[in-house]
Amino acid sequence: MDTSIEANTIETDVLVIGGGLAGCMAGIKAREHGGKVTIAEKANTLSSGCAGTGIDHIWAYIPPVHEKMGYSIEDLMESHRNAIAHGFIDGELIDLVARDSYNRVLDLEKFGINFRYEDSKIPGGFRIVPQFHSVPTTFNFDGRDIKVKLTEEALRRGVTIINRVTMTDLLSTPDGRISGALGVGTRDGKVYLFKAKAVVLSTGRANRLCRNVTGVWGNHRVPVYETGDGRAMGFRSGVPIINMEFLSPANFSIGNYELNLGSPRNTVQPAGSVVDAKRKEIVPRTYFWDWEKLGKEKVDVQAVLKEQMTTRPQVRPDYPELHSQGKGPFYLDLTSGTEEEIRYIEWSISHEGKGLRFLDYLKNQERFDFRKDKLEWLPNSREMAGTASSGLLVNKDLETQIKGLFAAGDEVGGVPWAASPGALTMGWHAGEMAAKQALRQKDFLPVNEEKVESLETLCSNMFDSKDGLYWREIELAVQNIIDHYAGNVRSEEMLKRGIERLVDIKNSVSFRVENPHELGRSLEVISIMDNGEMVLRASLERRESRRVPFGFYRADFPESNDEDYFVFLAQRRKGEKVEFSKIDIKR
Amino acid sequence: MFRPVVFNEEVCNGCNTCVDICPMDILAPNPEKGKPPIVMYPEECWYGGGCWARCPLRDEGAIQIITPLPMRVSILRGDR
Repeated sequence: MDTSIEANTIETDVLVIGGGLAGCMAGIKAREHGGKVTIAEKANTLSSGCAGTGIDHIWAYIPPVHEKMGYSIEDLMESHRNAIAHGFIDGELIDLVARDSYNRVLDLEKFGINFRYEDSKIPGGFRIVPQFHSVPTTFNFDGRDIKVKLTEEALRRGVTIINRVTMTDLLSTPDGRISGALGVGTRDGKVYLFKAKAVVLSTGRANRLCRNVTGVWGNHRVPVYETGDGRAMGFRSGVPIINMEFLSPANFSIGNYELNLGSPRNTVQPAGSVVDAKRKEIVPRTYFWDWEKLGKEKVDVQAVLKEQMTTRPQVRPDYPELHSQGKGPFYLDLTSGTEEEIRYIEWSISHEGKGLRFLDYLKNQERFDFRKDKLEWLPNSREMAGTASSGLLVNKDLETQIKGLFAAGDEVGGVPWAASPGALTMGWHAGEMAAKQALRQKDFLPVNEEKVESLETLCSNMFDSKDGLYWREIELAVQNIIDHYAGNVRSEEMLKRGIERLVDIKNSVSFRVENPHELGRSLEVISIMDNGEMVLRASLERRESRRVPFGFYRADFPESNDEDYFVFLAQRRKGEKVEFSKIDIKR
Repeated sequence: MFRPVVFNEEVCNGCNTCVDICPMDILAPNPEKGKPPIVMYPEECWYGGGCWARCPLRDEGAIQIITPLPMRVSILRGDR
């Protein structure tokens, strides 16, 4: 094997790192302002990101429906703030997502995605169901091809897409301005040096921090190709990262085939309920809002919000707690559904995540039928909490503390369950801001050549290593540390020990690779280690507990402490040290 | 350990759409043109099903995803 590493240099006005929903939207929008726009994607934008195999739902403030109901954007945000985020939400960012979400849905429609149905009785011809808010705000739609359509639109507008490049480093000037980024081709093994005037980071969450419960590597609810590369790059470059302590305990859902259906609400509705072995109802079945009336009659805004606050805990019980009381097993039960309702649910599932394949497997291999059979509820793998979104600290224009570096979608901290509307709206806005920044700047800024050489050395050392370890061996050791020291119960001494052990692995262990594919996986494990370290450090710093729905429990500080900790905890690296600060939560 | 993706040599025409699609990059084109791709890294499959969903010859049975036993669901049948 030739171990010499060759650098490819690419100049682009705007560089988008990560071509999921947010990244594609950023690229599409940025191109409207002219200039060269490049998306660097570790997989392939046709199938990458959380929506890689489709989404069936997007929440939005929908003027043609909600205005007639007397339901305002402020009402939606109040509902999101209270019932979803429990106050842990940045007011300016949720405002951006809520205000722009409907316009982005209309954009998707222009890009060829169907949102309107002839049999619909709702204004606009939409299909709208309850999910997060006190009135139905979620579109159901044919979203299986969303990434194909976005890729086509980006290419049509002249965006350059470079697939199979895993990004590793941000490049910035000593006075804190972005100048580019570095990555490695996972098929050609080359180092890619991007010189850029503005950069959008949109790589998603870190989804391989914990072992999965079934023992089948890769079987997670959320895609395992997302390894927190953006958070890791940001951290290494001194960008503040917030909320990393909220790595939540596993809940129960359809097991063992982990998939993102949010059942028995969200994708699996109406008619979804959960029962125990004696058919006692644990979660009552859902019903649609009366579609004859939705979007036509006024609602009592205070009453629906109050109802949401009282019913939400009932429809989302603490299954691990019930399990520990000896209650269970639990089953997803759709057998009360009418034929029409079951068909609706199957249509919905077939557009969401792994759903199409899941349905095919259920029907053809298991001969399963929702009309008469039930699916057992089993534990899911742990993941970063959606109820307190971790990510980069940004201002209201999504700019980080490095000038010209923007973040979008799940990369952004402080907007719980921003989910797909968050990706679409923030991607669009970050793309626009990045393009404007690039237009203002005449020349490329100097890049730090030492970082290029250091990455080249890191990669060639992995090829040359005799004593290095296979990436998966290191990943498993790191996951064991996260699971043990940042598990359901945490404490000061345990967390300190966890940090010691993780830092020891980071400093003493080297990787061995035989080809560019393994090189890519190894670089992902480096991201996982940085993310894991951030989780442990932030957990140590939050000296309180914040139970349901955050799932953050410190045995040495068992109570919540709003006075000192109703804040985002931000950590940033300064040299070899990590500094923490408390960020007030803007309403 | 697992055989997540299995091709039917009789049906698959080696178009390599699945090789492009796979976000984990576990497939490689067959050196012999027109033959099914090679599953290079079966242990890295995430069971997303993109390869299967976008296979132009899916309905003809060119590609199958095999769910490993530990991933198979637990079912309470019918009238129980």
